[in-house]
Amino acid sequence: MGAIPSWRRSAPRHRTATRLFAVACGTALAITLAACGSSGTSSGGTGAVSAPTGGTPVKGGTATYALPPSTTPNYIFPFESATYFSVANSEYFQYLLYRPLYWFGNGASPTLNTGLSLANAPTYSGNKVTITMKGWKWSNGETVSAQDVVFWIHMMQAVGASDWGAYVPGGFPSNVSNVTAVSPTEVTMTMNKAYNPTWFTYNELSQITPMPMAWDKTASGPSNCTTTVSDCSAVYTYLDSQSKDLSSWASSPIWSVVDGPWKLTSFNSDGNSTFVPNPSYGGSPKPSLAEFQEVPFTTEAAEYNVLQAGAAGGAGQKIDVGYLPSTDAPTKPAGATVGANPVSGYTLDPLYLWSINYFPMNFQSTTGNGPVIKQLYFREAFQYLMNQQAVIDGPLHGYGFATVGPVGTYPATNYLSAKGKQGDPFPYNPAKAKQLLSSHGWKVVPNGVTTCTDPSLCGPGVKAGQQLVFTLPYATTANWIEQEMTQLQSNMTQVGIKLNLEPKPFDQVTAIAGGNCVVAHISCAWDMADWGGGWTFVPDYYPSGETLFLSGSGANSSGYSDPMNDSLINQTLTTGSLQPLYTWQDYLSTQLPFVWQPNGVYSLTEITNSLRGVIPQSTTANLNPENWYFVK
Amino acid sequence: MIGFLIRRILQAAIVVLLVTVIVFILLRAIPGNVAIAILGPSAYRNPATVAQFNAEYGFDKPWFDQYLLWLGHLLQGNLGFSWTLDQSVASLLGERLPKTIILVGFATILALIVAVPIGLWQAVRRNRAVDYTFTGLSFLFYAAPTFFVGTVLIYVFSVKLHWLGAEGPQGGVVNDLTDWRDLLLPVITLALVTIALFSRYMRSSVLDNITEDYVRTARAKGASGRRVLWRHVMRNSLIPIATLLGLSIPGIFAGALITESVFNYPGMGYLFYQSAQKQDYPVMLGFIVVVAIATVVGSLLADIAYAVLDPRVRYV
Repeated sequence: MGAIPSWRRSAPRHRTATRLFAVACGTALAITLAACGSSGTSSGGTGAVSAPTGGTPVKGGTATYALPPSTTPNYIFPFESATYFSVANSEYFQYLLYRPLYWFGNGASPTLNTGLSLANAPTYSGNKVTITMKGWKWSNGETVSAQDVVFWIHMMQAVGASDWGAYVPGGFPSNVSNVTAVSPTEVTMTMNKAYNPTWFTYNELSQITPMPMAWDKTASGPSNCTTTVSDCSAVYTYLDSQSKDLSSWASSPIWSVVDGPWKLTSFNSDGNSTFVPNPSYGGSPKPSLAEFQEVPFTTEAAEYNVLQAGAAGGAGQKIDVGYLPSTDAPTKPAGATVGANPVSGYTLDPLYLWSINYFPMNFQSTTGNGPVIKQLYFREAFQYLMNQQAVIDGPLHGYGFATVGPVGTYPATNYLSAKGKQGDPFPYNPAKAKQLLSSHGWKVVPNGVTTCTDPSLCGPGVKAGQQLVFTLPYATTANWIEQEMTQLQSNMTQVGIKLNLEPKPFDQVTAIAGGNCVVAHISCAWDMADWGGGWTFVPDYYPSGETLFLSGSGANSSGYSDPMNDSLINQTLTTGSLQPLYTWQDYLSTQLPFVWQPNGVYSLTEITNSLRGVIPQSTTANLNPENWYFVK
Repeated sequence: MIGFLIRRILQAAIVVLLVTVIVFILLRAIPGNVAIAILGPSAYRNPATVAQFNAEYGFDKPWFDQYLLWLGHLLQGNLGFSWTLDQSVASLLGERLPKTIILVGFATILALIVAVPIGLWQAVRRNRAVDYTFTGLSFLFYAAPTFFVGTVLIYVFSVKLHWLGAEGPQGGVVNDLTDWRDLLLPVITLALVTIALFSRYMRSSVLDNITEDYVRTARAKGASGRRVLWRHVMRNSLIPIATLLGLSIPGIFAGALITESVFNYPGMGYLFYQSAQKQDYPVMLGFIVVVAIATVVGSLLADIAYAVLDPRVRYV
């Protein structure tokens, strides 16, 4: 580089520039200090936060609801295939417009709510069931009739096996031999045998969403699916294509025929939806809000930024019902319902779904570990090393419940047996785990690798020298799963079980272990896998276990098979009392077809204090904005 | 020049084709089951649906057959159909691309407006406090992850000071152009890394030119310092910036992906992010094709700009 030109050394102009630069730096520093020092939002205090009371209800207003991250509705037709079978489509969207025949969710209880149902409670007589419609109206003036129910069932009979997301081979409607609309208000069904009325109502009839006659058409014009099953395939094809044209939803003459409390006035493919009250809605209460909006978010962090900014009265959108990322939640004190709320002006209400959480061990594993996994004592030892309470207290910040068996523990229901109510049947106990292994022919090597020294005790198929080494892929979607897996791996070292953890995307884990590997014709070369989500009892609200635990079921991802279990499940399907359910769950909870793990909170919901009616939230994931209202 | 352009266009086509082959293979090599990724684990209730999906979308065919099928559609202008969003990929990109272009465009313009004078000033005031300060800031912003910068800006200007929105403009392109309070933070976030990069190059380029003989000659002929700087040094110093601009396009689009996620901005980057999470291959491939074409076009424009700015450069 050569000599610096003389004009660069001249002073006056550059002193001015330097002064300007100094002023700019000082301003930036002042802004930063102001931001850090301002009291825009403050901690919400300590201890439990109760829902606000008081205030004068006002009619109208627009409530904005933040959808879960990367979750947007993409199917409006309430007959969705597996591709579209999701809470985002059903409970957060379709159900606002098109009511299912039977509504499940009484406040926080996952029970039948006849008040919000389109029909009175079904009546059973042997293998016959009668459904009596209430006579609510579609928005085009037609009555929600028995024929509308038959329309849906005919559609199911025609295309359900391939195009209904909750279809189970051998299940509804295969177990119905005849369905007839005997009058405009009455439907009778004849089942192939007498089933447990609760089971049939909660798990079979729960799937039905009546459809208006206005939808019984194809591109050519009106059709006859309601009376002729063979016509339904063409009608389905037409409605399916209309549903896939997202840009047309708000203006479509098809989708504008609604019987729910809301009508859709705008929708874009980003997921922004706007609903207004349907004046023809026959249920109660009628919406008080003038408008209800659903807004999508890319990530939890993006939503939280907007929630905080809006809470502080900042620029941009204000969210009325949003959520607090679990990583930002202060730990909940033991015994409290909710912990401190870092967002002022909002009420924090944890939402738990009616569900259980578990991860499968593969009884059909071809890695060589299958015979070990089949041994009950081994599964018991493994379960004794799953410290559910420590996971709830730590990674879940107190927001979770232990899974004790195949029936959920929250909310409290009479489906849970007395034994289940006693809590975790396998509380953390490394000594017990060690004793189980050593008494069954294993040489336990803490911090090493335990090996089988006496195959006659280890169990059939287990060879001498077999090591307890397993691969465990887990989904990286939630931080708490990652921490739980690390904790579990550490716990296992106490008895010489080596877990090789493999973090993977959610989709890869479910692809590996989401289904029965033999039934689904996928690889069985895996030992165990954890996608973190377990099973939510929607739309199978009665936790009878036939989908998850029956031998040969596609969703029975562990491949667990036990004639006693199958027999007990079948009794729950056909016997009206709860005793078979109790007997079955008490048996299965100790058989450990899966590894029971903590059931974490579904959403730490934040509700603006000026909005009421949101609490109690539904454990069946339903949204009821018709119950919401603002106060001043 | 015409011959040069024709050769470059043919090269570009080959490059884009190779990129699609590599990406197609990599996507097919991702472990897991696309059918389950799209249908969800509930598909295991009825395993026949998995077989139906595979047959419908060609996953039961060899990957090369699948590629040729996709390429054939591409050459007819059909980018495929999103399995999760139920729209044609072309319409999805058509909706989202203008939003990303606005974000990237404003960020690039801002970067140039800020980086060029800063780089110039640093070179003129080299080894002084201002030079060291901007050098430090450049390293800081260049090293800082985009998501971190965005999150800090949101926290300061939105959550604490309430000056600007915490998310990007929602809705259509018109909202982007009118809702400046929501657009400003995403633009600044994306621009900061580019400013850091461009200002460094500009400083270096000005320092190289400022000691050239023509500068001394211009001064000897009586030109003022300002005239020498703006009429002579600046133009020559911009040549590498023009080249850098074209080559920065993939990086800027990558940064846009993260920025759009942080600011909940429904552009093309966010679309790619959603699709990658759900293994929606048609959308991912469509995005890659668009970015690959943008990259080769950017590179070509950079070369042309180079020839325009520097009369000594002639392509044959």
